[in-house]
Amino acid sequence: MSKQGEDIIRQLDDQAAQKEEQFFAHIANRLNRPRITRAPAHPFRGAPDFWHAYDLSEEKRIELFMANWTSMGGNAQRFSDIVSLRTYIEDMAKTMKAKYMIRFDHPLLNEMNVEQNLPDVEMTVWNEQAQEELLTKAAGADIGIAVVDYAIAHTGTVVAVSGAKQGRSVSLLPTVFIAVLRAHDIKTKMGEVMADLTRRFGTKLPAGIHFISGPSRSADIENDLTIGVHGPGIVHALILD
Amino acid sequence: MSTTFNPTTTIKERARISLNDEFLRNAVKYTTEKLRTSKKLASDELGNWEEWRERARQIRLHTIAHLDYYLSEFVKNARANGVHVHFASTAREAVDITLKIAEAKGAKSVVKSKSMVSEELHINHRLEEIGVEAIETDLGEYIIQLAGETPSHIIIPAIHKNKQQVADLFSEEAGETLPPETPILAGFARAKLREKFLEADIGMTGCNFAIAETGSMVLFSNEGNARMVSTVPKTQITYMGMERIIPSLEDLEVMATMLPRAATGQKLTVYMSAITGPRRPDDSDGPEEMHIIILDNGRSSQLGDPEFQEVLNCIRCGACLNACPVYRHVGGHTYGWVYSGPIGAVLTPRLNQDTEKWGEVAYASSLCGACYEACPVKIPLHDMLVYIRRQKVEEGHTPASERMAFKGFKYIMSNHRRFKRTVNLGRTGQKVVVRDGVITSKIGPLKGWTEYRYAPSLAEHSFRDSWRNLYAELEGSTPDMSSDVMKRLEEAKKKQGGRRHE
Repeated sequence: MSKQGEDIIRQLDDQAAQKEEQFFAHIANRLNRPRITRAPAHPFRGAPDFWHAYDLSEEKRIELFMANWTSMGGNAQRFSDIVSLRTYIEDMAKTMKAKYMIRFDHPLLNEMNVEQNLPDVEMTVWNEQAQEELLTKAAGADIGIAVVDYAIAHTGTVVAVSGAKQGRSVSLLPTVFIAVLRAHDIKTKMGEVMADLTRRFGTKLPAGIHFISGPSRSADIENDLTIGVHGPGIVHALILD
Repeated sequence: MSTTFNPTTTIKERARISLNDEFLRNAVKYTTEKLRTSKKLASDELGNWEEWRERARQIRLHTIAHLDYYLSEFVKNARANGVHVHFASTAREAVDITLKIAEAKGAKSVVKSKSMVSEELHINHRLEEIGVEAIETDLGEYIIQLAGETPSHIIIPAIHKNKQQVADLFSEEAGETLPPETPILAGFARAKLREKFLEADIGMTGCNFAIAETGSMVLFSNEGNARMVSTVPKTQITYMGMERIIPSLEDLEVMATMLPRAATGQKLTVYMSAITGPRRPDDSDGPEEMHIIILDNGRSSQLGDPEFQEVLNCIRCGACLNACPVYRHVGGHTYGWVYSGPIGAVLTPRLNQDTEKWGEVAYASSLCGACYEACPVKIPLHDMLVYIRRQKVEEGHTPASERMAFKGFKYIMSNHRRFKRTVNLGRTGQKVVVRDGVITSKIGPLKGWTEYRYAPSLAEHSFRDSWRNLYAELEGSTPDMSSDVMKRLEEAKKKQGGRRHE
């Protein structure tokens, strides 16, 4: 950004700092009470009590997740070991004649090393250096592979968390998205994911947490369901026991 | 108010145009029916819908009642994550801030995901005035942008366009003739907008929820365009209505349970993104700079007003549109401003703070209360519509003839003898116009009614005439009034000044 541009942004920040307290005071004034600066009691925080009691066994969770994910047009498969998972991805890449792929720099994917048996594929591994290039690579990729931190059985959702080794583009820009997840990361309901995120990160969350439920879709043209409008139109959830 | 929108036609004319558009009527009917059925199935499948609804309402009520606290927490935490937060009291101020950011960035193009707030600002036109291209990337919004129109449904903005119309618009954009087939049209939009995403300088988003404790903003989308806009461009600008706050990540579970189900019957939208500040130093994608513009634009005027404060609880799902018998006939454009349906009929006069110009949209309702039944946060919209009508009367914005009529009504109704005489007079007078027991002629004060339906004639014998006989018949068959009720009624009568009614 130019020096002049930086000055404009700084001016805007100053303007906001000046306006801020007046903005809040106006709200308190409208509410006919003094300004509140300490946390009020929040008795209705989160889901209703009965919901906290809802909990499924691991088998039921896997089953429900797969059913929900499939009902939205996603593909779900279960694997007992890493070798069969790798073979499945290799076959998919070969069938689709994939040329470009991109993946997280994740221990599980590094161990799997899916690219070793795919000589025709150019695999890009996400990293913290080549910034612009990675976005272009992701946009040109046929398949993106991520290891997702969680899945939610109740809604058929996978949760991808951004980080130095885990770009958000991997689950967004390629034609096909593969979410690899471990069976024990499938939770019954969203609240458990929220609780675990809070446990891990406190209130300092990673920049991008994406809850993904099936392929990109739209019904904006005469209510016709269209798959793959901006995001991936083909999505696979591959569960490793 | 700073809105530049000024309807040149009356709501009656706008409704007439909509009612004469057969495709529109069928499309609106089909779509609202589909969304309504899906919502019903989804809420049944979830179970305990009323408990969830009540919880969602409580969270929204609590947040709005403590809005200064939660908003300032949000601002503090968003800043800690590196967000530039701005405050705009009016649409004008929000536009100014946006244009300055665009200038600072030397921006040539902006890609937008859906934001109702941005419609309040007419930001696309403002950006174009300074030579910045603004592109809507939600498929429906893209269609109506090419057509130069405004959304007709909050969830499905291009509900009123058929495939051929879309094909014509896209063909012009493509420079070649595209067939009216959905996969081809969607494919064109994907390719075209992909280019736009990759070359845009700024990504603009709305904000479904903002989380006070973490400083995150949350977006719901199905197409993935909201993710594109918040991932690819170097600068992100987010518009946020000042009431979009929820306290915590836990509360998001409740909103995520209600919003998609109430809107389309989905268990969750395809994407729900919680974005917390710009990219971290070691992240290789996401915006480098992030601005959140918090907008008032008439919202704070609802605070502290017992009749309207709850309208700020709205989570913009559109369920009230799908349930409304008026919306289902006329669609969104009849309402004339950004928001349509029952929520629009309340928000339009309230946010614009102009009952004279906008009060008439509050009459686009049968006051049946279906909107309240449908609302996932239980906003009593039908009551609010009555309050707006009352305000319009109190502020003297009703026609002189209507005021005269009600003066006459008051004069007649406040005295039973006068009332009886008038009814007798009417019974004689109506003989000229009654055919087969109904009045069909469109004359005098009856016109407003008889233009669209028959008016019933006055009965030969009125209920009041028959009362004495009825009373005698009923005597002994009804239980006696309990003594304390009788006492209360008599006291109330005394308080009234003991006016006699016979």
